Amino acid sequence: MKSDTVKFVLAKRKSRMNSIGLPAEVVINIILGLFCLLCVVPFIFVVIISFSAEDSIREIGYSFRPIKWSLEAYKFAFTSNKGIWRSYFNSFFITILGTALSVLICVLYSYPLFRKDFKYRKFFTFFCFFTMLFGGGLVPTYYVSKNILGLNDNYAALIVPALFNPFNIIVMRTFFQSSVPTELIEAAAIDGSGEYNTLFKIIVPIAKPGIATIALLNALAYWNEWYLAMLYIRTEELYPLQYLLMRSQQNIDFLTRNATMLGSEIAKIVNDLPQQNLRMALAVLIVVPIAFAYPFFQRFIISGLTVGSVKG
Amino acid sequence: MKKKVLSIVLTIMTLTVLLTGCGKTKDKETTDTKTSSNNVTDTPSTDGKDPAQTEEANIDISEPVTLTWFLNGNSVSDDKAVLEKANEYLKEKLNVTLKPIWGTWGNFEDNVVLSISGGDDVDIYFTSSWTQNEYNKYAKDGAWLRLDREDNNLIEKYAPDAWNMLPDILKNSAKVPGSDGEGVYALPGFKDYATQNCWDVNVTLLEKYGYTIDDIRNTDYYGFEEILKKVKEGEGKDFYPLLVEGMVLERMVNNSIMVTGDSQACNMLSYYINPTDVSKEGSYGNKIFGKFETPEYKKFVEKTREYYLAGYIDPQMAIADQANDARTAAQDAGKYLIGTQSYSLGYETQASARRGIEVQMVPCTPAYVDTTASQGAMMAISATSKNPERALMFLNLLNTDPELMTLLNFGIEGTHYEVVNGGEVKFITEARGTYQPWTNGMGNVTILPPQEGQGLNFYDTFKEYYASATAIPINGFVFDQSNVETEMAALANVGGEYALALNTGAIDPATKLPEFIQKLKDNGIDKVVDEASTQLEKFLEEKNK
Repeated sequence: MKSDTVKFVLAKRKSRMNSIGLPAEVVINIILGLFCLLCVVPFIFVVIISFSAEDSIREIGYSFRPIKWSLEAYKFAFTSNKGIWRSYFNSFFITILGTALSVLICVLYSYPLFRKDFKYRKFFTFFCFFTMLFGGGLVPTYYVSKNILGLNDNYAALIVPALFNPFNIIVMRTFFQSSVPTELIEAAAIDGSGEYNTLFKIIVPIAKPGIATIALLNALAYWNEWYLAMLYIRTEELYPLQYLLMRSQQNIDFLTRNATMLGSEIAKIVNDLPQQNLRMALAVLIVVPIAFAYPFFQRFIISGLTVGSVKG
Repeated sequence: MKKKVLSIVLTIMTLTVLLTGCGKTKDKETTDTKTSSNNVTDTPSTDGKDPAQTEEANIDISEPVTLTWFLNGNSVSDDKAVLEKANEYLKEKLNVTLKPIWGTWGNFEDNVVLSISGGDDVDIYFTSSWTQNEYNKYAKDGAWLRLDREDNNLIEKYAPDAWNMLPDILKNSAKVPGSDGEGVYALPGFKDYATQNCWDVNVTLLEKYGYTIDDIRNTDYYGFEEILKKVKEGEGKDFYPLLVEGMVLERMVNNSIMVTGDSQACNMLSYYINPTDVSKEGSYGNKIFGKFETPEYKKFVEKTREYYLAGYIDPQMAIADQANDARTAAQDAGKYLIGTQSYSLGYETQASARRGIEVQMVPCTPAYVDTTASQGAMMAISATSKNPERALMFLNLLNTDPELMTLLNFGIEGTHYEVVNGGEVKFITEARGTYQPWTNGMGNVTILPPQEGQGLNFYDTFKEYYASATAIPINGFVFDQSNVETEMAALANVGGEYALALNTGAIDPATKLPEFIQKLKDNGIDKVVDEASTQLEKFLEEKNK
């Protein structure tokens, strides 16, 4: 029976074009399977810890099979700490608004760079490209953002600095070049379409896969952003979720570094820190929403893979 | 064509990754250099302002002023109610509106350096000898305003009361060489400014096995063996009688102290104090040593290894990022016999209540004052502050007015705390959770009401205890790393690998200690020790002049 199945599979394989041998396929599958496990297991571990009772963690440390399960961490996260809901809202707000704006800017900047008839194309390409090689450094950037642009303790400080991403612009431009035929623009112009009309009605629908990719990258970047919050945000009400988590991590790091400086205060500080299962629960709460973004963008991205390739 | 574009894009990508990778450390450097260059220009401008101030006979507070105040170590998520009340009070007294920035342990260090070098509009900074905005270094760089210039003594004019309340030891320790001559660049906070390392003894358990606290008092680390053995046998395999904080344990056993300015990640340098009279020189004199090469250290790690193998020390104590959690958990559960503790007055009562056992402290040395403690929490006026006078007046009021100090530190009575036992403060847990500044980081704690269980005359005993503490011979010395920064970074990495594990006995000193020392030598420990010794010699010369 078993050998029959194998034969059948083999026969099926042979009939396919571009197929590889069975042993090779088995080996590749095992390797990729292991790789998948490596990616998934740590996350499952985090989920398990977040559902472990704190006593269990104290007793036997992190474990896949805790002595006792508990929902305490989630209960605590959702009831006694208003800050988490607020941060959740902030993260969503920043991600949605930031992604929309940055995608718009990206398309508006990269489209002219793709148009060969744009006179200052070279200059603007270089202008954008240059910032990838040389940055202003931390202090000048901080100074300009805070004191000149007023990005100080407000939502703008979390959104504006990441709006313009030169790397995404170059990717987008390349995508336009590979998927949008110039003739299309000429044809549109002949039919009397204005520039905006051409861009939004004709080019954007064709470039959807590319735009979706950029949008996903931006959404990820905004969702995971904590550094900007660390630099510019002083009010706890404006913290995004990631920074809330980062902050407790920073506190833990600080304690590890300075345990000897603080003497008897340590015990007090340790008790102020969220318990270990709560930290993990926070991590889970952070990952879940953005994990749903993947399937949403995926259908565009997969079609994007074929759009750019040769099709007869 | 397409391939070319792609390859260019990919090259750029790798380059950016490389550049940003290397760039991280560079950013820090620019931060540092920026600070110094920034402040060179700042100092004269404040100088220019000063003479004008001198001419004013009366202090004019008719103009309303907003003061920004950058603090450390807080856990504050809702300060609206407190600030409203505080500002109403301050408006009336000083015509000041207060705007605190509640730095936390984790983010203070990064933010404060940026804030100073970016020239943020902050009037008062928390500073100390152990934070990134190190008091001495930033005084030299000109980030702080000098407060006691001969021609314009701001302290005398605006904050005499707060200054006079301070013990002499803190006043003297605040005088450092800075950009504007030797003087005071920050107002020290009156807090637990002495260090005393103690054995934290679980007396309840000790007595269960027929010993008394005197059995601990009359012996030392090397004589604990018998007691540890008996208790371990009685309590079982999962019980670890010796609850240690590796780095502190080493200092307690060897009577070495932390040299201020040493790497915080891993202390490399040792100064040996005199365990009977801390104001005198120790057996080695006023010298700094590489911690890990002394015979004391060798003897210590060998004994510790013995204890570890016998199962007296929890292996978790050797893992830096678990040790704190695990130790606190074991303490709270009373699952230890002898622990290490850097003492602050009243700690045993607090600990006993919390842990539900009788805790007593057995000191290893008399209480001493070193730089880390005497410059442990200070308030500096930023050189860029537009209203240094009003800032200092605020600090003066804060440090002398119990009402204001209590409000800012503990919150509002009835909301954040209630008064019990005729004057003790009992916190209301939920509200206090949203407003919890670092008590010792704000200033004069002696004008606060005592907390529940401390007793009504707590702060009298407090003052007495700390007044009895004496300064060690090298109090005021701060090791300036700037000449050996690269070595320090490399050494800290090496230290991180070995020091804690050796100090808790988790690795075998017979093979690992020589290996460790060799690695330290390869990474330039000798250069660091030489540099520190030269600096100390120079410091002592100046001091004894």
